[in-house]
Amino acid sequence: MENSNFEILAVAYLRGELNEEGIQQLESLLEQHEEYRDTLKALESSWKGMDQFEVPEPSDRMDQQFFELLGREMEKAESPGKLTTSFKALLDWLFRPQLAYAMVFMAIGLGAGYVLTKNVQQQPGISVAAEEVTEVREKLVLTLLDQPSASKRLEGVSEINKITNVDATVITALLKTLNKDTNVNVRLAAIASLTNYVDNPTVRQGLIQSIPNQESPIIQVTLANLMLALEEKKSIAPFKQLLQEKELDTTVKKKIEETIASII
Amino acid sequence: MHQLTDNALMLKVKSGEVDKLGLLYERHKKRLFGFFYNLGNDPMTSEDLVQNVFIRMLKYKGSYAGDGSFMAWMFRTARNINYDYHKANKNNRNQTDVAAIAYKLEDDTSQFDNMDKEDTIVQLHRAMHSLPMEKREILILSKYKAMKFSEIGAVLGCSEGAAKVKAHRALNDLRNAFEKMQIQ
Repeated sequence: MENSNFEILAVAYLRGELNEEGIQQLESLLEQHEEYRDTLKALESSWKGMDQFEVPEPSDRMDQQFFELLGREMEKAESPGKLTTSFKALLDWLFRPQLAYAMVFMAIGLGAGYVLTKNVQQQPGISVAAEEVTEVREKLVLTLLDQPSASKRLEGVSEINKITNVDATVITALLKTLNKDTNVNVRLAAIASLTNYVDNPTVRQGLIQSIPNQESPIIQVTLANLMLALEEKKSIAPFKQLLQEKELDTTVKKKIEETIASII
Repeated sequence: MHQLTDNALMLKVKSGEVDKLGLLYERHKKRLFGFFYNLGNDPMTSEDLVQNVFIRMLKYKGSYAGDGSFMAWMFRTARNINYDYHKANKNNRNQTDVAAIAYKLEDDTSQFDNMDKEDTIVQLHRAMHSLPMEKREILILSKYKAMKFSEIGAVLGCSEGAAKVKAHRALNDLRNAFEKMQIQ
């Protein structure tokens, strides 16, 4: 009985969990049994030695695999096929022959989005839980934007829209997507998402700098519409640079000329 | 400032807010990875086993009652996953030796002044891996300050007092194995 008492007290002592009463009980046992004192000393040395066991850091692969899994599960958990359906609808819409209508809708959407965003008041005092959710979403977004599949990258951009306060890493990833993504739909989605943050100078600058890099007519026109809505004078120079391109679509050329004239 | 408890988050996962599993993952990934690694699994396997814990959490989320400790539930799941993995891979080479060797190799870069201390730690590590799995488990779990002994008892399926006695005896066995290695 005394021995198991000692065992229990010794473990609690090593974990630093003994209260005053427990300490007194242990001391009394150590006085009565000299051998317990040696045992405790030896155990303490092994116990402390265990703190020296090194554990390597898990690799990024673990996070990547987990967030891929989480992304798939979230997709399943949301209303059946909601994301996929909406992306399919977006793709169908973009490839309709009436490009002019598409451009008009896009311009209205971007303009309305910009105006509405300006009127939205930020909620003060975000809770720790909300911050944690944001952190997890941001990791998910970064993982998705790195995926080889375009639909996954679109999903990544869509996830960004659920984040209240995006940080610089996500903004950088979005701008990289805008400039480097091989898929025009992903780039369009990136622009739509970036319009939520046009008050951020990095975003504005990034959008302006991407103008000469864009080769797709629909992206060029979308950017022109956005710059028009923002009345961004700094975009004039890159648009003029774009006008020098020999292979520029004539409709786009006309649109850009009109945009420059309106901004000036 | 309000932070949702693990229990509250897991109940949200159960009710369909699957994204909350991401928070639980962020909170516990390192602890779980350390658990599997210290049990003798190599880093890559430890990562896969961490993943399996969360897959199993999703699979059995419906049965999560939320009335006990989340940590106990999580480590009970982790323990079962480790058993299942080793049962399925019992013909493979004993990973404990590999982990001990890898550990020793990492330590080769240490300063000569620290040689004795490092050797002691390597030997203690080897002694740890000579213990049966259930003794290693309780030693690793006892080291987590965030876990109460009542929770460790819940993981092992015994009372708090019995868990403390088991921990003491496992530590005693560790000390004996270590002393034996020093004599050799």
